[in-house]
Amino acid sequence: MADALATHPARLVAANWMRTALIVAIVLLAVAVLTFGFGRAGERIAVQMCVNVAAVVALAVFCGNSGIVSFGHGAFLALGAYLSGILTMPAMLQRTALPNLPDFLVAHELPLGASLGVVAVAGLLFAALTGSAIARLAGASATIATLGLLIIIHSLAIGARDLTRGSQTFFGVPRETDLTLALGAAILFILIARLFRESRHGLFARAARDDPDAAAALGINPRRTRFLAWCLSGTLATLAGALYGHMLGAFSPASFYLPLVFMHVAMMIVGGMASVGGAVAGVIAVTLLQDTVRQFEGGATVLGLELPGVFGLTTVALGLAILLIIAFRPQGLVGRFELGPGAGSRLLSFVRRRTAPADAPPMAPSAALEARGLSKSFKGVKAVTDVRFDAPAGRVTGLIGPNGAGKSTLVNLLTRQYDADAGSAVIDGADLTRVARDKVAGKGVGRTFQNLRLFGGLTAYENVAVAALAAGHRGRAAARVAVRELEAFDLGEDAATRAEALPYGARKRLEIARALAQSPKILLLDEPAAGMNPAETDDLADRLSDAARARGLGVLLIDHDLKFVNRLSEAVVVMNRGEVIAAGAPDAVRADPAVIEAYIGRGRTAAAFTHQREIVE
Amino acid sequence: MRKTSVLLAAVSAVALAPAAMADEYVIGVMSAQSGYLAPYDGPAYAGFQFCIDEMNANGGLNGTLPVRTIVKDTRSDIAEGVKVVQEMLDDGAQFIVSSADADPTIAAAQITMADSVPTMTFAGTAPVLTQVGPHVFGSYPADNQQGAVLAKYARAQGFERVYLVKSPDSAYTLGGPEYFGTAFESLGGEIAGTSLYSLNQPDFSAIVTTIKAVDPAPDVIVTWAWEPDFPAFIKALRGAGVETQVMGGDVLDTPTVRGLGEVVDGVVHTSGGFPDEGSPYADFIERFEAAKGTTPDNNYYVNGCDIANMIEQAVAAAGSTDPAAVTAAMAELEGSAVMSDFTFKGTDRMPLRDVVVAKITGDGEKEFILREAADPDLLPAP
Repeated sequence: MADALATHPARLVAANWMRTALIVAIVLLAVAVLTFGFGRAGERIAVQMCVNVAAVVALAVFCGNSGIVSFGHGAFLALGAYLSGILTMPAMLQRTALPNLPDFLVAHELPLGASLGVVAVAGLLFAALTGSAIARLAGASATIATLGLLIIIHSLAIGARDLTRGSQTFFGVPRETDLTLALGAAILFILIARLFRESRHGLFARAARDDPDAAAALGINPRRTRFLAWCLSGTLATLAGALYGHMLGAFSPASFYLPLVFMHVAMMIVGGMASVGGAVAGVIAVTLLQDTVRQFEGGATVLGLELPGVFGLTTVALGLAILLIIAFRPQGLVGRFELGPGAGSRLLSFVRRRTAPADAPPMAPSAALEARGLSKSFKGVKAVTDVRFDAPAGRVTGLIGPNGAGKSTLVNLLTRQYDADAGSAVIDGADLTRVARDKVAGKGVGRTFQNLRLFGGLTAYENVAVAALAAGHRGRAAARVAVRELEAFDLGEDAATRAEALPYGARKRLEIARALAQSPKILLLDEPAAGMNPAETDDLADRLSDAARARGLGVLLIDHDLKFVNRLSEAVVVMNRGEVIAAGAPDAVRADPAVIEAYIGRGRTAAAFTHQREIVE
Repeated sequence: MRKTSVLLAAVSAVALAPAAMADEYVIGVMSAQSGYLAPYDGPAYAGFQFCIDEMNANGGLNGTLPVRTIVKDTRSDIAEGVKVVQEMLDDGAQFIVSSADADPTIAAAQITMADSVPTMTFAGTAPVLTQVGPHVFGSYPADNQQGAVLAKYARAQGFERVYLVKSPDSAYTLGGPEYFGTAFESLGGEIAGTSLYSLNQPDFSAIVTTIKAVDPAPDVIVTWAWEPDFPAFIKALRGAGVETQVMGGDVLDTPTVRGLGEVVDGVVHTSGGFPDEGSPYADFIERFEAAKGTTPDNNYYVNGCDIANMIEQAVAAAGSTDPAAVTAAMAELEGSAVMSDFTFKGTDRMPLRDVVVAKITGDGEKEFILREAADPDLLPAP
């Protein structure tokens, strides 16, 4: 086995730690330059920067892993700031500033550490409550929902005068966020965010971000991954809000509203939303830009040139930075990958520890997929009618039919992309038409998609590893499974390559490797050879028949390429206009007049079909 | 050797330059030059700096103590304000003039509290802001003074029923109408209804419909809305055919509001002062125009100048530049200034100053109606 593949898992672990260390080092460097280079003024900029790092990293835990931009994190910041403010405020001051505070909140005068503990619990509860609604949504509707959350909490903060003094300034909050605390929090948040991102839940979330349907087909529940990311992100953001409040000492609901939220989102987008390093780089870049420009606002002398004072330069500079980033680096300063060396980097050539491929999976039990009476119509148009067939284990069953025959609809019924109107599809006693979409994989059914559906932002290795993890393998075991499948499909050299950067043929193979990493009993392959050249098609056919034979795997192969289907299949099911018109051994099916008619039209002779047979063979 | 000592002298001169010298008074000005507070902080700073420059030309405060100002932009951002005020203290600021709103002023005041550095807001009018500590001062007549004077005037016109339009988004837009309502009720008036709007709300038709439906109709509508909300509101109101008298706060005292034409004809608002002919205020406008070439067309300019006057008088009364002494002297001050006279003595450091009531005319001008101090018995509690 190639060295590159065998050492990949160990190198990935090392790369991930190096990336985390690099991000922390960048923060430490920025803080050191500011504090040692610019004295007390620099230290204060560093404190503000570290608090922003904490807040933006918290934001990116959700946005980066779910792909959903959130404007709702201002709500968490406000919750943390107000709650910690109330809990730590001197009792004397509290009596004047908040005379109508409910009894259970009065005069706690907690030390900051204890207060942060309460804030974290409150943040988690609030995140779980709001996440149960927001995680149900995806894309733009989720973003709008987060904006709604911000508006609701802003209004509540203004309305709850007894707790917040309404729109008036909430003051008397101990100013305890110093550089040690802010820097410590920033580093801790970076560690947590990095650990989450590379954990199985982080991988699941990023897989669901890149393609929710493909993730669901692997048994990943996209909603659940969003919920977990939201809960962690919200908890961290609430803590960041408390630090922000203790930095300001006085604030009002407006302090956590759109200007702050836009600033944080802008920082995240400037740096790159998809990674922790991006969030951190964005904060540092924007902070340094703004505080440099600020020095020139009041007018300055540069190289003997007297510059006039132009106030508002900082805002102009931030606007320009965003425009330039969007124009020239739409993925942000850092881009889609995490900052730092990848597992394929030469820097990591010292890592020699090898991961042996997992043993071949045990022969699949002789299960069969039995479809009976499956039907589906769309607004009265019958796409699939009363379909019946068997796809037993250890055998490749071909499913062919002209365009529009209903083949893909049938696959989507079996994998619960669609709800069947009638009928059943039973495997091992479980009716697939009655299980949730993300539970189909758990019943032993794997699939590929007609249009490639890889997790584009993950590497080839991660694409396969995430499938192994979703199938219940943990840590090293998952790594061994991934190595086995990548090797079987000759993807070892590409392990560290991002899936969207692979050539077409490799992507096709990767999708099959990913499905096989779950050791399914039945594999549904939707046009696996489409778009491949003849050499690639032959190669794929060999690998598939090896896999089916060696693992006792049942394959339901759907393809237009009749030669490819005939070569692999021991039985063929032919569909036309949503119905099964023939089923049986390839030779018998080819002679079936109904099949001839469906493929080349009514009134042709058997001789014509023979001619066609010669062509396809 | 000679070279080295010259170099050393130069270096130490550069190093010492920013520190407060004994013979100067350092005032830190945190002013929002961009963001939502800029329309108020901008003019206030211009007026303040103008009068400080005049003083410096004559030898400084009280003719003897030159003033150095440190001016920094807060971008109307509270976090930026916190940072800026600390930089000014590092730089030796002995007095802080802060933005025209409660949030940044209170945040700054919590930081200046440690050394009791007197902190005065440009034009923040929320009476709560001086609650932070004994070193915090207002400069403009507070919202409750404006509300009380306007309510007394409204009752004197025979108005019985008021409709309040307020926004909970800021202490000013919420507090002003509420103080008016309290004073109006204690004078026997009645609140006919209340509507809430959001800052920068583009459409006021729902509020206008609600006002139209009030039965019996209110005699007067009161709002502390500013731009662009007030123009949007008054256009929607007049457009719907509601001709009820509208009254508002001192934010309406701007040329852009007066320039709205017929829709604002007859709108009554409070103000901090009025440039009567021959008054010190009119003289200020003339001097300013002559020096700068622009017209100081709202009260924030002259109030900025008054802050310079207040500081000068407080330093004179204290007989020292020690922050605590200046704070103590300011709290006992009764003095005269350009816009109007002021009294800190006996107040909670929001100065008692005359409130002017003025009326906008359709041709873009304003008419003086009355000038008086708020009746202490009528003054709503902050």
